[in-house]
Amino acid sequence: MKHNQNIERDRELLLGLTRNDDRALATIYTENYPSILRMVLQYNGSEDDAKDLFQEAMIVLYEKAQKGEFDLYSKLKTYLYAVCRHMWLKRLQTGSWQLPLPEELEEVLPADDTNGIAEHEEKDQQFRIMEKAMGSMGEPCKTILEDYYVRKLSMQDIAEKFGYTNSENAKNQKYKCLMRLKKLFFEQYKS
Amino acid sequence: MNEFSLIRDIERYLEGEMNEQEKTAFEALRQSDPAVNEQVLAHQQLIQQLEYFGRRSALQEKMDKIHAGLANKHVSIAPSSTPEPKKVFSISRRLVLNMAAAAGIALLTSVSTIAFMQRASRQKTTAEYEDVRRVLNHIQRSQNALINDINSSKKAPANPGTYGGTGFAVSNNGYVVTNYHVIAGADSIYIQNTKGEAFKAASVFEDISADLAILKITDSTFKGQPLPYSLKPQRAMRGEQVFTLGYPRDEIVYGEGYISAQTGFNGDSAAYQVSIPVNPGNSGAPLMDNKGDVVGIVTGKQTTADGIAFAVKSAHLKRLLEQMPKDKLPKKEWNHKNNKLEGLSRVEQVKKLEDFVYMVKVYN
Repeated sequence: MKHNQNIERDRELLLGLTRNDDRALATIYTENYPSILRMVLQYNGSEDDAKDLFQEAMIVLYEKAQKGEFDLYSKLKTYLYAVCRHMWLKRLQTGSWQLPLPEELEEVLPADDTNGIAEHEEKDQQFRIMEKAMGSMGEPCKTILEDYYVRKLSMQDIAEKFGYTNSENAKNQKYKCLMRLKKLFFEQYKS
Repeated sequence: MNEFSLIRDIERYLEGEMNEQEKTAFEALRQSDPAVNEQVLAHQQLIQQLEYFGRRSALQEKMDKIHAGLANKHVSIAPSSTPEPKKVFSISRRLVLNMAAAAGIALLTSVSTIAFMQRASRQKTTAEYEDVRRVLNHIQRSQNALINDINSSKKAPANPGTYGGTGFAVSNNGYVVTNYHVIAGADSIYIQNTKGEAFKAASVFEDISADLAILKITDSTFKGQPLPYSLKPQRAMRGEQVFTLGYPRDEIVYGEGYISAQTGFNGDSAAYQVSIPVNPGNSGAPLMDNKGDVVGIVTGKQTTADGIAFAVKSAHLKRLLEQMPKDKLPKKEWNHKNNKLEGLSRVEQVKKLEDFVYMVKVYN
């Protein structure tokens, strides 16, 4: 009974995440971060490691929720914990410091979740490239692209913000910016 | 077609800004020219990445904000089982603070010690002199307090402001010596002999630094008698047996001991260190040698140690008496050599002596 209630609550939270509800995000974050922090610290990680790891897991969850492909078979807490543990295991293995792995970390995750993480890793790589490409963009391109693709402002708003006479001019600027970004991104991506 | 117009067309195509006609033309171009098609696919990927970047950046921003909120309420996210790495960090920070504080204190201590040592070695005599005064004052104060205690417990209802000490005659015409600290600040002074007869007295001469005072019995009923003892001009030797008679209580009390050092408190050369039972009320009592001559006047004791008392040397008393105006106290009155106590047993010495030792009562 209680278990079902919990699942119901988790489902609501996930729906909130899909709708970009900040309250749902905050609730999931604050309720689940402490246990991840404990786990990471227990395995000789730092507080920053815990933050990175947990936020990455949250991104995986968010992407899944956005695509609507997330089916809640277990509690949200269990899922996040499993994802974090899996990623932490990988980091420990690939990291420069070779620690004997604790027994309980050797467990294999369900196939479905592993796929999610593999997909995430690929995306993560591309994200880093994009981050780098955006980082090396000059102004006003960087802000225009961020305003349009991150802050979701309309071209009309952007035109006003940057003092273009109309949105067509702003669009032309955006095309130029995309041209540059495309070059930067694919240079990195192909190499 | 140049690069810019291609990008623009792709964008317009993907954003759905083209009209039907344009759209058909663009799709035809895409099919005929594989390079254009590739560009479209690449652009789609770019936009996808850009959108993902946007979503993720926005999410990251939000999460960082939430995280910052968590950090403010640190208690709730870092539970009691706060694990090692964090602990190590906080301890090391505390350690650094502690070490900084310790280093500061150490520096301060060493600097002040050096300064103090230098100053002390340069002004040694001055420092000692001041020290003596201060500590002596302290002894006197504590004695007075105790005197007050004893007397007030017996006479408090009648005479709440009474102090008491001991004095002894230095002449046969009513001059009595006692400690200055006994009569300091007195309104009226009475002396009382062993028979319980009290006579009014007044302080006629005081030497604060030697802690001595000369009193004159002003009562006409007082009749002097020749003194059986004299003031010993030489100093007493270490180890010499001495005895005293005083009024630590209402009755005269005998005590005996020996000279233990030629200097008094903190090397005060005007006094002896005496090992003798001394209690509040003994102040001003005569210190006699075996022959029955006065060698000193009991003044105080060291509160921090047992069995250490101090007595002003009789030579000081002599000097004081010499300074007195000759018309008041002719030298022959006190500077005599008739000692009637020599060779007597201690019991007889004491019996003769006690007529000349008085309780000094002070009202203020």
